[in-house]
Amino acid sequence: MLNAQPPQPKIRVDGPPYVFTVVESSVLVRLRNPNLAAMFRVSVDKPGAEPVAGDHFADQGTLKFRPRFPLEPGVTYRAVFSVLTESAEFSYTVPKPVIQRTTVIEKIFPSAAKIPENQLKLYVHFSAPMSKGEAPKRVHLIEEGKGEVSLPFLELDEELWDREQKRLTILFDPGRIKRGLVPNKEVGPPIKAGSRYTLVIDADWKDAKGAPLKEGFKKQFEAGPSDRTPLDPKTWKLLTPSPGTREAVVLDFPEPVDSALLMRFIDVANARGGLVPGSVALDNDETRWIFTPSENWVEGKYTLEVLSGLEDLAGNRVGRAFDVDVFDRVEKPTAESHSIPFQVGQAPEAPKPTRP
Amino acid sequence: MTRKLAVTLIATLTASAYAANLTSSLKSGKAELKSAGPLAFGPEGILFVGDPLGAQIFAISTGDTKAAKTAEVEVSGLHEKIANLLGTTADQILVADLAVNPVSKRAYLSVSRGRGPEAIPVLLRVSGGKLEEVNLSNIAHSKVALPNAPSPEAKARGQLLRMEAITDLAYSDGKVLVAGLSNEEFASNLRSVPFPFEAAGRGSSIEIYHGNHGRFETNSPVRTFTPYSIAKKPHILAAYTCTPLVTIPMSDLEPGKKVMGRTIAELGNRNRPLDMVVYKKGANHFVLMNNSSRGVMKIQADGLEGFESIKDKVADKAGVPYETIAGLKGVEQLDRLDANTALMLVREDSGAMELKKLALP
Repeated sequence: MLNAQPPQPKIRVDGPPYVFTVVESSVLVRLRNPNLAAMFRVSVDKPGAEPVAGDHFADQGTLKFRPRFPLEPGVTYRAVFSVLTESAEFSYTVPKPVIQRTTVIEKIFPSAAKIPENQLKLYVHFSAPMSKGEAPKRVHLIEEGKGEVSLPFLELDEELWDREQKRLTILFDPGRIKRGLVPNKEVGPPIKAGSRYTLVIDADWKDAKGAPLKEGFKKQFEAGPSDRTPLDPKTWKLLTPSPGTREAVVLDFPEPVDSALLMRFIDVANARGGLVPGSVALDNDETRWIFTPSENWVEGKYTLEVLSGLEDLAGNRVGRAFDVDVFDRVEKPTAESHSIPFQVGQAPEAPKPTRP
Repeated sequence: MTRKLAVTLIATLTASAYAANLTSSLKSGKAELKSAGPLAFGPEGILFVGDPLGAQIFAISTGDTKAAKTAEVEVSGLHEKIANLLGTTADQILVADLAVNPVSKRAYLSVSRGRGPEAIPVLLRVSGGKLEEVNLSNIAHSKVALPNAPSPEAKARGQLLRMEAITDLAYSDGKVLVAGLSNEEFASNLRSVPFPFEAAGRGSSIEIYHGNHGRFETNSPVRTFTPYSIAKKPHILAAYTCTPLVTIPMSDLEPGKKVMGRTIAELGNRNRPLDMVVYKKGANHFVLMNNSSRGVMKIQADGLEGFESIKDKVADKAGVPYETIAGLKGVEQLDRLDANTALMLVREDSGAMELKKLALP
C-alpha cells in the first residue's frame, strides 16, 4: 500500500501470572537509557488512575511490565505505550468466574438454649473462609417482643477470626457486663435474664471468594441469671475407661464450658508425665468433654491436666471469677494447671503387712 | 584544642555506636509479613509493624531518616487511590493503621489488599501527596515471634484456631510494647519486648487488672495506649476495651507481675477508644483521643498523679476532665504530625476516606 503508516507496535498480555508486553516496536531498540515507566503505563481503567505498582524491564527488543499484585477478576486494565512516533493501547479484563453461593454457618457456640446474662462470647463456625470487615453489620441480636438490641457486641476493627477465617469470635460488650462500670450501670447487660433472643446473621455476608452465604442463620436462646462462680474441679465427674480398650475418658461439668478452650486446655498424661495422644469431642451443650486415645489404654495411673485459664460461658476461670468482688473475695491463688488423677484398671494391691 | 577534639570524637563515637547497635540488628532481605496491622515508629526511621497472622513483630528500616522537602500528607479519596496503585477495587482495601515518621513527617499506612485469608499485606508511604509502596522484597529488618498460646507447644489440638489480634504497639526507650487480644481467652495481654530483638526475646507477658470503683477487679485487655511521663516517671496511659482510662508505671511492667492499672477516668458508655496522641500546648499537656462513637476527646494531662483513683459511683463522665472537640466526626486513625498538628484518617459522610491535617486544639 502506498499510504501505509509505519508499522505500529502491539501490546499483549500473557499469564497468569500476568505480564504485559510491547512487541514489534522498531523504536525501542534504538533508545539509550529509556525511561520505561514513562513510556509504558498500565493502570486500572478509570479516569485519572495512577499506574499500578509493578516492574518494567526490556527484553530482546520487547518491553515488559509485570504488575506487583495479581490482576483482579472483573477489573479492566488499560495499557498505554507511547514513545516518539510509536503508540499502542490495549485493554484487558480478567474473566470473572461465576461464583456459587455455597458457604453456610455450620454451628454457633455455645449450643445451650439458655445462657447466662453475663455471657462473654459467641463463636460462629463457617463452612469456608469468609471476608473480613463486614461482621458488625451482618450480626444482629433481636429481643423477643422488643426488636433489635442496640450495640450488644464489642465492635473491633481487628475482627477476631482464626487463621483460615472460618471461625469468628464475637465478644459481648465487656463494659456492659462488668459490674461497677459506667456502661453496666447506665445501659445494663446486653442480654437480660428472663428475656428471649434471636441471633440473626444476614445471608448477604460475603465469603472470601466474594459470594454471599447460601442462606442466613438464626439461633434462639433464653438469658438466665448471671454466673459469677469460678469453675470448681470438685464439682466435675470423671468416667474412666477399661484397660486394653480405646474407650473414652469422659469429664462431665455441672455447667457449659467455653467450647474453644475446652478443646485445648485439657490433656491426658500418663504416670511418667508424657502426653497421651488422642482426639477430643464435646457433647451435651459443652458440659461433656470426651477424650478418645489413639492407642489402647494400658493399666496404670493417669492424670487430666486442666489449665487454670479454662473459662465457663461468663469468663469465670478455675478458682477465679470473671470480676471479683474484692469486698467478698472467695478466690484462692491457683496454680497454672490443675491435676485430676485417675486409674485405668485395678490399682496395684497395697503390699501386705509383714509380720514383725 | 586537641582535648576538645577528643571529647567531640568520643561523643560522636558514642552516638554512632548507639545508632549502630539499633541498625546492626537489622539484616537485609525479604520482610515476609503475613499481615500488616498496627504501626509505630522507633528511632532512626525504624518502623515497627504488628503482624497478627504471623504472630510476630517486624522492625523495618524505612531509610526515611531526613526531614522531607514537602511533607504533603493530605490525600482525598484514599481507598480509591490505594486500589488504583494495587490494581484492584476500593472495596478490597482495608487500612489497618496510620503512623507518621517523626523525623521525615511522612505518613505510613498498613494495608490489606483483599479481605480473605489470602489477602496481601502492603506498607504504603505518602510522599509529596502521592502514595508509594514500601518495597519489602529487600529491606533491612528484623522480627520477633510472639508466643502463640499460653499452653505448652506440644498441644497441637485446636491450636490453629487460636489467634491473637494486635490492638496497639508503641516504642519506648529500648522496648516495644504490644497489646493483644485473643480470639479465645478474654484476658489482658500486654508484652514488653526488648529492642534490638533477641533470638529468644519473646518479651514478658503482663497481666493487667483494673478495679472498678475499688470493688470489682477484672483482668482486661488494653485497647490502645501511649507512653507518657507522669511526675517525671515513665508510665503508660492505657484505655481498655471496656472504657476505663488508666495509668500504669512502666517499671511495673515486669514478667509474671500482676499489675493494677489506676483508673483516672471513665469515658462513657457504648464507646471504644481508638488512638491516643500526647501533646503540649502553651504550658499544658493534653491527650487527644479518637473514639468509635464519642468523637475526639481532648483530655487534660497535667498532674495526672494528683487524680485519685476512681472509687465511688460516678456519673457518665468521671475523673480527669475532658472535652469533646466539636465538628470532628468519623476519625478512625490519629497520629501526631508535628508539635502543632495531628494527622487523621477520616471517614466522610459519603463513605470516602481522607487523610487530613488537624491543628492540635
